[in-house]
Formats: sequence, structure tokens, C-alpha cells
Amino acid sequence: MFEEASEVLENMLKWSVPLSLVLFLVLVCPLRAEAAHEFSVYRMQQYDLQGQTYGSRNAILNTEARTVDAEVLSRRCVMVRLADFSYEKYQKALRQSAGAVVIILPQNMSTMPQDIVQQFMELEPELLATETIVPVYFALEDEELLSIYTQTQISSSSQGSSSAAEVLLHTATANGFQMVTSGAQSKAVSDWAITSLEGRLTGAGGEDLPTIVLVAHYDSFGVAPWLSYGADSNGSGVAVLLELARLFSRLYSYKRTHAGYNLLFFLSGGGKFNYQGTKRWLEDNLDHTDSSLLQDNVAFVLCLDTLGNSDNLHLHVSKPPKEGSPQHALLRELETVAAHQHPDLKFSMVHKKINLADDTLAWEHERFGIRRLPAFTLSHLESHRSPARHSIMDMRSVSSLEGLSRNTKVIAEALARVIYNLTEKVIAVLRSHQQVQEDQLASLVDWLTAQPRAAQLLDKDSSIVNTLEYYLSRYLKDVKRHLVRADKRDPEFVFYDQLKQTMNAYRVKPAIFDLLLAVCIASYLGVLYLAVQNFGLLYGFLRRVTAPRVKQH
Amino acid sequence: MTLFHFGNCFSLAYFPYFITYKCSGLSEYNAFWRCVQAGATYLFVQLCKMLFLATFFPTWEGGAGVYDFVGEFMKATVDLADLLGLHLVMSRNAGKGEYKIMVAAMGWATAELIMSRCIPLWVGARGIEFDWKYIQMSFDSNISLVHYIAMAAVVWMFTRYDLPKSFRLPVTILLGLCVYKGFLMELFVHVFLLGSWTALLVKAVLTGAISLCSLFLFVTLVHSN
Repeated sequence: MFEEASEVLENMLKWSVPLSLVLFLVLVCPLRAEAAHEFSVYRMQQYDLQGQTYGSRNAILNTEARTVDAEVLSRRCVMVRLADFSYEKYQKALRQSAGAVVIILPQNMSTMPQDIVQQFMELEPELLATETIVPVYFALEDEELLSIYTQTQISSSSQGSSSAAEVLLHTATANGFQMVTSGAQSKAVSDWAITSLEGRLTGAGGEDLPTIVLVAHYDSFGVAPWLSYGADSNGSGVAVLLELARLFSRLYSYKRTHAGYNLLFFLSGGGKFNYQGTKRWLEDNLDHTDSSLLQDNVAFVLCLDTLGNSDNLHLHVSKPPKEGSPQHALLRELETVAAHQHPDLKFSMVHKKINLADDTLAWEHERFGIRRLPAFTLSHLESHRSPARHSIMDMRSVSSLEGLSRNTKVIAEALARVIYNLTEKVIAVLRSHQQVQEDQLASLVDWLTAQPRAAQLLDKDSSIVNTLEYYLSRYLKDVKRHLVRADKRDPEFVFYDQLKQTMNAYRVKPAIFDLLLAVCIASYLGVLYLAVQNFGLLYGFLRRVTAPRVKQH
Repeated sequence: MTLFHFGNCFSLAYFPYFITYKCSGLSEYNAFWRCVQAGATYLFVQLCKMLFLATFFPTWEGGAGVYDFVGEFMKATVDLADLLGLHLVMSRNAGKGEYKIMVAAMGWATAELIMSRCIPLWVGARGIEFDWKYIQMSFDSNISLVHYIAMAAVVWMFTRYDLPKSFRLPVTILLGLCVYKGFLMELFVHVFLLGSWTALLVKAVLTGAISLCSLFLFVTLVHSN
């Protein structure tokens, strides 16, 4: 009995070694295939603001591709082009619990017709408002992606409509695509610091001078952080602020034109996330410091937000300014300058009370208003809800910066009149060499829109923050950074990572294709076997053909 | 089902060899180790060829699109070493003509299969991405088997002392065709811009023609005595 047992064991061992080797090789060897196409995808926003979650939660993807017309969308990656995108289709994909949605944007947005751009801009806040676990990606279109899309579209629309024979033929010739992203699941970024920059120009003539504060937030917002360039909102505001800093620093460097006002310039970060930078800066300056320019005599705070190409200019206030106050003086000067020197500009004041019950504040001046500082915002937009403030379509277009430079001139002129108390004059106060430089503005806007400026992408070491700091320190004194970090226990804002990933598209064949191929190969091998078995027939035939010739010799 | 696809390609490549080995009666002659020795000779010859090519043929820095006819022709000439190797294998094996030819060809072709096809199939056919080239590679290995059998037969015939004068010329031509077949195939593909499946078909037809001619000559030679 023992002999038999040992024999069985021996046999088992004899076969298990090669088997385990094969199994080991099969399981362990990593698979690294080359993809049909590899491209960058940008994920939709994901953030928490004051406890509310927004945006798409998930990041990983390994699913088959389909287009929106296909019937079965669940656990598939739905690809849509911008031209065909609509909210109903998006809802349909989400309802069927699709694996992911990829929206393909054209490389050059200016080729898109205006109404599609406008429609998408209006859809963006709705996309973000519905919190979803489906990852939503944006990709820029190129030839290969377009060919992948067309092939997927052909195969998607033909499903479920043809006979069995057609389906079989289809499987042999069609290409499916498997979309795989590299990268991990998204998680919250800990300890993100939002940076704000301030600088000042001290007025002439002793203590207790009134202060004018000029504020602009430098970050941008859109449905995908890596695609939000924010040319108008708020690249234009930052450009105007920097240009004013240069202008007034020049004026203040001469004794004759050194005015009796302190000028405080503030570039705030996190502006699109309910003005976090400004909020913390105000708290620090008013609550935690002994003496600060903001605590004493503040004449007014002027916030600059979206001042690009438009013939309108609105001054948004939370309380109409009282007569005789510096605020009222600025309002009057803006009206005068607009009316006399730039008649094509339509200037008006818009009054909107601060509504503390809203989720987010409307304009930046409301942060100052809450702390009882007189403030207003200049913008060409009439409403803070305008989609132009939160869109990825806000890009540097080819058009000129006429509107921006005109608005800068108006603001500079009005400020100069208030500061130098030259309100009686009708002609322009600022002469030719003190003028706004248009090419300076143009290069600032070009630089600002060359890279995305979403708040999640600009940490305190980013090149944009460093360059802004450098620029300010050329013209202003006491340039300081101010960092905002979210509170540990009750964070006001939480950002998530994995915003830019690489997606690979692999060509795949359906499973039935492999079976079909196996059947074909088996039949081929069968034919071959028969041929080899009957090789003797060919040999005999050839022998008979050659034999008569031999006999003749 | 990518492992399945690898299985498909592997069986398409390997089973014809298995069938040929079993059905040609080689297994009765215990020819397994002789085939392995033939395979070892193949490895040795390939190594020598590679060293020779690397030493004496510089890389050609011409334009990307132009095909270097002369250079490729010279490289193909080095393939004459294959013939020498086959002759070496066959001369060491005692036995009938058919036995020698089959042993040499089987060993040579199997070694080529393992060396040049197994790893690409393992790495490529198992991946997620599908490509027709793996099936084509497996078909190509079938064609190579027939090609090597024909080549071994022609070499054997060439070295026979009792080869009739009238056969010298056809045998030499066939020998030349065998050696330069790769070069001719590349020429065709380049000049006529053939697709991959068409090229495979042309290769099969060419190999079939060569093998039929060599079989005809072989039968005539063996049964003329």
C-alpha cells in the first residue's frame, strides 16, 4: 500500500513542478501592451466648499468605449463630442450608471459656433451642481482620437439591429476600444496653502493718511481645473491691477506727484471658492494684528473683477455711497470720465444687498462689506451669476484688448482725480508719459492665459505666484505673502487630486472572436493533418510522373 | 480572453510541427535528440552570422524611405551560412536521405520557432491590445517549416556525388532562391507596396513553388537509380 501511495505522490510531484511553473509564469508576468492611442485627459472639478461636496467623485477607469447613441451604457465609457453634447444625454449616461464620460473638445475652440459655446457655458454650473460618482473627463481632440470616436460610433449604432450572420461578420472585422486610465483613486489633498500677495505704496505727509485698497483675485474656475484659463475672469482684473500698480508707483516716485493717500494692492487667491484668501486676510489684519492699514482710515476698497472686452461697466455696491464720502467721489469721477472722455462706454451703478443666507458671496467687495469697510466691485458683467465667470470657454481670443485698455484708462483717470483732488478739471489728468501702456497689458494677459490658474493647481511654489510676487516687488514696497490653510477640524475648502491623467485606448476584439478563431484554426489543423497523412499520395504521383522518363533511358 | 488568443496563436504555430514530427515516422527512429542537436547547430550558426554582420556591415544612414538594395543583398548573402549549417547537420547523421533531410529540417525549424516566435507571442498576444500580426506570425512559422524542408532537400541533393549533370543547374537555382527568398520578399513588399496579408500569400506561393520543384527533383534523383 505504501508503495502505491509513494508512486502516486511521485507522479503528482512529477507533474506539479512544470504545472506550477507555468502557473507562476502566467500569474506573475506583467502585461504591458502598447496602446492604440495614448492621450491626456482632464478630470472634472472635485472639491468641498463649506461642507458641501461638488463635482465628480471617482477617478479610475477601465471600461469599453461607447458613444451616446448606444443602447446599453452601463459600465461603459461614454464618449461625446462637444458639438453633440447636451444635458439630456449626460443625464441619460448617468442614469444608466455609465462607467465614465469623456467629452471631446476641439483643439481650437474658436472653430466652434458661438451658440454651442454659449450653451456649454450655461451647462457648466449644472454639471458641477449634480454630485456624481461617475468620473467625467475632458480631452482635446486630435486625429487619432477622432478616428477612435468614429469607429466606436459605427459599432455602437449598429448594435441590436442586425441578424446573427451580420453580427458574426461584424465581430471579425470591427474594432472595440478599451479605455484605461493610469493613476490612483482621487483623494483629498492635505494641507493645501492658498497664497495671496499684498504690497503698498505709502502716501506723502505723515501719519494717519487715508488708505485706498485695490483688490483682484488671480485664480480662475471652470468645469475642469486644468482647462480653466480665465482670460476675462479674472485675468483682466489682475492685468488692470498690475498696470495700476506700475502707474501709481511711477507717480509716487516723484515728489510733486506724491499724493496723500496710502495705496494697498492685494492679489487674493481662492477667489472663486468664496474668496477664501480675502476672508482670511481680513481676519488676520483686523482681528489678530495690532496695527494695520486696514484698521485705520480706509477710504474705500475697489475690487476688480472681469473687465474685458465690453462696452459696459458696472459698479456693484452693497450700499449706495453717501454724499461727501470718498466712495461717492470715486463714483462721481467714474461717471464723469466715462461721459466726457469715453462716450462709447456705458457706466452704471448696480445696488445689491449682501445676502448672508446664500451659499457663496456674490462679489469680492461683500467680504469687505461684512467687516464694515466701504467697498465696491467694478465689472463689465451685470450679474454675479453670469456663466462667463466660471467657464473653461473663457480663453484668450484673438481679438484686441481695446476694451480692457479703455477700462484701465477710465479707472486710472478716476482714481487719479480722487487721489489728487482734481475733481474740478474736465480734461484728462494723466498725461502721455503717465498713460496706461497697452502692450504691457497685452503681454500680461498673454502670460496669465498661457497656463491654467485654477486654485487647486497653484500652490505656494508655483511659478505664477512667484512671478506675481516678483512683479509686485518691482513697483511696490513691503510685498508680503499671505497663506490660507483650511482648518483641520472643520475645513472651509477641500481639494482633491488626480485632476490630470493619461488615458490609453486599446484595440480589443470581442470574446466571440477568439472562439471563432479557435474553430478556424482547429479546422485548418485538421486539414493539415489529413494532408500530411496522405503525403504519400503526392509522392507516389510524382514518382509515377518521373518513372516513364527513367524507363526511356 | 487574451490568454485564449495566445493559445490560438501558439497552437497555430506549433501543431503543424508536432503533426509533421509524428506522421513522418521520425518518432519511430528515436530522432528526438538528433533534432535537438540540429537545433543547437542552428543557434551556433545564427550567432556566427550575427557577429559577422555586426562586424563587417556598417549601419546605413541613408534616407528613411529609400530601400538599400545593395546592402540588403549583401546581408542576404550571409545567409549562405545557413546552407553550410544544414550540410553540417546532415553529414553527421547516418541514414537514408529522407531521414537526414527530415531530422535536419525539423530540428532547424523548431529551433527557429522557439527562438524567434515564442517570446513575441508571449509578450504581445497576451496583452489587451489586439493585432493581426500575431496570427500572421504563426502562419509564417508554418511556411518556414516547408521552406526549411525544401532547403534541406536541395542541400542534400547538391552534395550528392551521383547527381546527374543536367540537374546541377536547377539545383543551384533552387539553392539560390532559397537563400535569397527573404530578400526577394522584402523587395516585392517594397516595390509593390503589398499589405501584410498579401505578402503572406505571396510568400506561401513562393515557398510552395520552391518545395514542389525540389520534391520533383528529389523524386527523380532517388528513383532514377
